[in-house]
Amino acid sequence: MHHTKRNSILFTGLGIFLLVLFVLNISLGSVKIPLQDVFTSLTGGNASKPAWDYIILNYRLPKAITAMLVGMGLAMGGLLMQTLFRNPLAGPDVLGLSSGASLGVAIVILGSGLVPGIAASFFLSSYSIVLASTAGSFFVLLAVLAVAQRLRDTMAILIIGLMFSSFTGAIVSVLTYFSTAEQLQKYTFWALGSLGNLHWNNIAILFVVIIIGLVLSALCIKPLDALLLGERYAKSMGINFKQTRFTIILATSLLTGCITAFAGPVLFVGLVVPHMAKLLFKTSNHKILFWATLLIGGVLVLLCDIFTQLPGSAFVLPINAITSIIGAPVVVSLLISKRKGIFN
Amino acid sequence: MDTFKTVLSAQQVSIGYSSKKEIITVANNININLKANTLTALIGANGIGKSTLLRTLTGIQKPLAGIITLNGKDLSSFTSAELAQQLSIVLTESLPPSNLTVFELVALGRQPYTNWVGSLFDDDLAKIDSALQLTHIEHLSNKKHFEISDGQLQKVLIARALAQDTPLIILDEPTTHLDLLHKVNLLRLLKNLAHNAGKCILYSTHDLDLALQLSDETIVMSKENFVQDTPKNLIANKVFDMLFDDPNIFFDENKNGFVVR
Amino acid sequence: MKNLFYLFIFTLLAVTSCKNEPAATSVQTVKTANSIKYAKGLQVYKYSGITVVKVTQPWPDATDGFTYVMQQKGTIVPDSLKKYTVVQVPLKSIVVTSTTHIPSLEMLGVENTLTGFPGTDYISSEKTRALINSGKVKEAGASESLNTEVMLDLNPDAVVAFSINSSNKALNTLEQSGMKVLYNGDWTEQSPLGKAEWIKFFGVLYGMDDKANELFSKIEKDYNDALAQKVSNKPTAMAGALYQDQWYMPQGGSWGALFLKDAGANYLWADTEGTGSLGLSFENVLDKAQNADVWIGPSQFTSLKEMTDANPHYSQFKSFKNKQVYSYSNKKGATGGLIYFELAPNRPDLVLKDLISIFHPEMLPGYQLQFFEKLK
Repeated sequence: MHHTKRNSILFTGLGIFLLVLFVLNISLGSVKIPLQDVFTSLTGGNASKPAWDYIILNYRLPKAITAMLVGMGLAMGGLLMQTLFRNPLAGPDVLGLSSGASLGVAIVILGSGLVPGIAASFFLSSYSIVLASTAGSFFVLLAVLAVAQRLRDTMAILIIGLMFSSFTGAIVSVLTYFSTAEQLQKYTFWALGSLGNLHWNNIAILFVVIIIGLVLSALCIKPLDALLLGERYAKSMGINFKQTRFTIILATSLLTGCITAFAGPVLFVGLVVPHMAKLLFKTSNHKILFWATLLIGGVLVLLCDIFTQLPGSAFVLPINAITSIIGAPVVVSLLISKRKGIFN
Repeated sequence: MDTFKTVLSAQQVSIGYSSKKEIITVANNININLKANTLTALIGANGIGKSTLLRTLTGIQKPLAGIITLNGKDLSSFTSAELAQQLSIVLTESLPPSNLTVFELVALGRQPYTNWVGSLFDDDLAKIDSALQLTHIEHLSNKKHFEISDGQLQKVLIARALAQDTPLIILDEPTTHLDLLHKVNLLRLLKNLAHNAGKCILYSTHDLDLALQLSDETIVMSKENFVQDTPKNLIANKVFDMLFDDPNIFFDENKNGFVVR
Repeated sequence: MKNLFYLFIFTLLAVTSCKNEPAATSVQTVKTANSIKYAKGLQVYKYSGITVVKVTQPWPDATDGFTYVMQQKGTIVPDSLKKYTVVQVPLKSIVVTSTTHIPSLEMLGVENTLTGFPGTDYISSEKTRALINSGKVKEAGASESLNTEVMLDLNPDAVVAFSINSSNKALNTLEQSGMKVLYNGDWTEQSPLGKAEWIKFFGVLYGMDDKANELFSKIEKDYNDALAQKVSNKPTAMAGALYQDQWYMPQGGSWGALFLKDAGANYLWADTEGTGSLGLSFENVLDKAQNADVWIGPSQFTSLKEMTDANPHYSQFKSFKNKQVYSYSNKKGATGGLIYFELAPNRPDLVLKDLISIFHPEMLPGYQLQFFEKLK
């Protein structure tokens, strides 16, 4: 292991920062709750108001955990996609998975009037959105994998993913044209992303799926390092490229699909975090990037979530607004500083 | 020379491409015998099939006929992982952009031997250091791979192949893009590695004169012929006379080189 | 003879009254009649101490509805009803999510129990605005996405919400926390009196069933009285306006269209089926309604110039040229909320009178329009 002192300091710093943000995220919100009450609640005591206990333990705590999981999962997806496609502008949604999920949800929310009675009862059930989102990304995933098996050229997969995105986006546009104002608002709100209001059992599912996705990603560390030299060298070092590609796509799909199902499409995180990790640690070594991406991903989304709560006000901004506001300038500055080494 | 162990051999091999519709044969009756401690050059006109031959010898393509044996075992029976410990390659294609340092790049050569996550242990580090020393690039260890010259980068890639610790190393046109001085230094390095580190090294090239002067054996591919022999014997047997189609280019025995009329 | 006859009558009476007796004692086994007349999505069954409210159409195409048991103090909920949401009434604090709920609260005189509302700026009524301005009514987010924290902090006795399907994350979280979430289906009602009858829903929540019934009966009577007047001619009517490239024209079965029918107007799309809107092209509308006498409800426009600025073609309509365009968007509350959206569903009698005054001015001389304004 090529650990340097600088890396150790950075990792420790990031770890502390993550913890601090976690606590800060739980302490801030629409309702002003004094810090002391926050700590009392978290350590098992009773806050001054029972409503506050509930808010802290059953609303803010799940939201903070969700934020961390979302940040870690999407960031890892972005890292995998950027190395696999050797494209610095790739994100976890580049395979079209988020678009597939959006299409599924759009059909359920906007298209329920177009569907006969039997299906309508499913459409209006409480798990409809989660199931539709999962189904949507799953079908896109199958299509992408089927194509990937046949294609030798990795770039073609990227283009196909982008085409799926356009296609599903077009269908969603048509659906919005024929929907009512209420349906449109509901769909739009879903598409803006939301980290709150997840039950503990949903968080458990999210946690399990993300862990599986991260384990699969970890198995790709060695092949990803080999791929830094290109496919031909990687194969000559014993890497099974097709299997690696399959594993990477599978891991990304699990991570992205599950997160989109529960929190809606969260933009920019997957695109931006791998770059931040590479800039900060100045390395392409995936052993380091794996952990760096996880930590920075968690930090970024916790931070964005804090900004969505204009503290003390009832108005909460949607998470995508903040991630885009932070993400877009970062991407622009990356493109501007186009030097050979950093630009990966 | 004859006492050295055979590393790679090809017997009555035909190379080419086969699809559902047709079979295209690029060359046949290929017989090769590559031994340890030997630097062998592969020469031939453009389009004659050198790249196809290299791809077949490295297991990327299947031969249309014949058997290729590596260390006594049929080449097609190797798994990708097993092959990686027997054969390493050096290419001239440019590397994708990344932040790899020279050390990290050379260290990647250890992948066939490391654990699931690629950790380096003492013996790995020793091999890497030895590779860096043999190629005289220790002073470049901490530089990023895009900060060094092309010639230095090529040494780095050779060091990587050395770190991979394989009995056979195959290089694809390593002397292209280099000036005469660097060409000579490179070939001297390869010869050194062959003789002193016991490697079997095969490289393809268009630099015929240097190949004749510096390699132990040469393989000549032409339309009529496929010959492997020492340069001396090849010249004596007038193999180079009909190497090119052009009657205005001929091989002058006295000058030991090609002349244009 | 006479005695025999009286005996026969007496026995008959005795036998029939015997039949009725067992029916009157037990509360659980006999269903009392649904006391709702017009609202199709609401059923109210009153027992002693308990009222069962069924909301059968919380959103369009709903297959199941919701049943709520309103329990008064000191009564026991029978086991058969325990599986439904039980609410202690009368409520002491409430959060509602639509401005149409505000007039119901005010008419019952319980607007001071309102502790929060999503989008307080939309509320027009002065009484409630005073409560908002004094800080008694807190801002609770947006109606599609209630602010969970604020709601948990307010902890009202009940939330009257509406949703377009049952997968609303924020409401689910509130229900999980034990808060009573009551889905209100007044927005799916189409008949004018049906919509207004939902005041009885609120009446039950406050134990003011009688007052709610009384209020509704008056509205019903005023409405029917206005209806009863015979009209000699029926002016033709058109509605809506262009949004992007679609002209949204209310369908024949929709709330707006039913009013036009009751007001003695000949709505040119009255024979279309459905309760929503048609998406028509401009040509369609011009073709059919160029010579319509009156134009009702051109969306958000508040002046004729505003209309032609948006689209010069509007001036092609006869109703426009004759300045017979009546909009509900001019009358607003202090913070911009439209009075029409808030009050009209609850006071169909006033809406009907407005429309009768527009179409048949001779029937209501001196009448001041409550919701509509003639565009200048």
